Amino acid sequence: MFLKPYFAFAKKSFLGRSAYRFDHFMSILNTCLQIFIFWGIYQALYGGRSEVDGITMTMVSTSFILSMGLKAVFYVDDYFLPSKVWDGSIANEFLRPVSFRGRMLAENIGNAIFNVIFHFLPALLISVLLIGICPPESAGMTVCFLFSTILGYGVLWTISFAVQAAAFWAINIWSLATLKDVLINIFSGTMIPLWFMPEWIYEALKITPFPYIYFTPVQIYLGQLSYTEIAQQCMLQLIWILLIYLLGTLLFKKGQKKLVVQGG
Amino acid sequence: MKSDTLHMMLVYTKTIMKAWFQYRSNALLSSLTVFLREATGIVVIYFTLLKFGTLGGWNIYEMLFLFSLLFLTYGIMIIFFTGLRDFGKTVRDGGFDRFILRPRGLLFQLIFTNADWFAAVGHGGLGIALFLISAGRVGIQWNAVNILYYLFTVMGGVLIQGAIFLLLAALNIYLLETNSLKELFYWNMRKFAGYPISIFHKAIQVCMIYVVPFAFVNYFPAQYLLRKPDMAQYPQLYLYITPIVGIVMYLAAYGFWKYSLKFYKSSGN
Repeated sequence: MFLKPYFAFAKKSFLGRSAYRFDHFMSILNTCLQIFIFWGIYQALYGGRSEVDGITMTMVSTSFILSMGLKAVFYVDDYFLPSKVWDGSIANEFLRPVSFRGRMLAENIGNAIFNVIFHFLPALLISVLLIGICPPESAGMTVCFLFSTILGYGVLWTISFAVQAAAFWAINIWSLATLKDVLINIFSGTMIPLWFMPEWIYEALKITPFPYIYFTPVQIYLGQLSYTEIAQQCMLQLIWILLIYLLGTLLFKKGQKKLVVQGG
Repeated sequence: MKSDTLHMMLVYTKTIMKAWFQYRSNALLSSLTVFLREATGIVVIYFTLLKFGTLGGWNIYEMLFLFSLLFLTYGIMIIFFTGLRDFGKTVRDGGFDRFILRPRGLLFQLIFTNADWFAAVGHGGLGIALFLISAGRVGIQWNAVNILYYLFTVMGGVLIQGAIFLLLAALNIYLLETNSLKELFYWNMRKFAGYPISIFHKAIQVCMIYVVPFAFVNYFPAQYLLRKPDMAQYPQLYLYITPIVGIVMYLAAYGFWKYSLKFYKSSGN
């Protein structure tokens, strides 16, 4: 079967994650602390008010719990391809009878599935018990939320792929990857829900890929969008996935041609 | 103290700076990246306060002043304590054995043979930038007493964080691996430290004052200079003792380090 090797890669990375128990426990704690810090900050900012601009405190908590939780699930190792370029092992990778990009995606998905079960769900459970969350709007909306979440992962993955493909050209990928993280952290709604961004920034962000990673799924979960709007937003997510993937592929293909690996 | 100690410090420092800044554009880019990465939380709080005005009674400039102490002290601290930050690796790959063979103090070598200049410039530069933006806008009289207070407080803040790194390095001798402990006790607690601790749950406040005393690095010193009303719930004494906390913690960590060295076993090779 055509997909079989990719399932094997996904399974391998899933199982590989189970080896480091203590580190994993720490990373769940880390996610919960982040949620808890922002919850504390917003408790102080709300100062007992029931809502600000029609946004209740519970909606804010829900936004942080979902986006921080998804952030843990969406983790992509930005140095997977670069490290193979640096040590030259990329040459061997190209000789294998499987697509390198397909393998990257498969390993990341295996990792993401691990994180859904062993990171997102525990962190969700702890946060719900400690600070509470809005219940799902309806079964239909929940399905749309899950669908849009997968597309959000697609947007994030293609951005990371494009950054990694730049490793054929630039040496300091760490700076590029870190700057990407800075932009995503500020503008995707994980650290400040985009409702509270200055109006003009929020409007400007709609023509960038950032709000389509975490904020669109969160809005859908909270029932803030009608079904027509959801269809539009998901289309936009798809368009961004395609555009960034094309950019990444261009960098990847051209880079592959110019690649010179030293040594035997 | 041997007569050529000062000379050695200078030679080491010069060599290390040369190594870090060998590739100028890369060094600049990396320092700038650290600066921007660390500024993320500050940009976020800036946007948040555009909407909400104040956080627990603190306006944006007071918040920036609070943040500036945290970054400035880290920037100075990491110039001296990079060797302790990376001590775990030095022990694991056997590099520490080489240090033992040399005719100089171990801590002297760890402090002066490496310095993460990118972190120093990134964090320190951010601390200075935030200080310049906020210091004139938060109503502090910069008279001799306050300037002196500020200098001692920065020194205290550096020692507090240095003591934590020294303590974790000493624990490394027993445990070989303390990255997770550092994540838990240093980096996670530090995430709370940028904000007025009075807004958080009591348990967090107790941790920040008595367990990993980040409150003395920036919250209480900022309170001495700003006198916000939320200080009423803490003893007034805490406004003055940052340098003492720093010195006591550092001496305690140094004692534990000296004691722990007796138990050092090479990781072998």
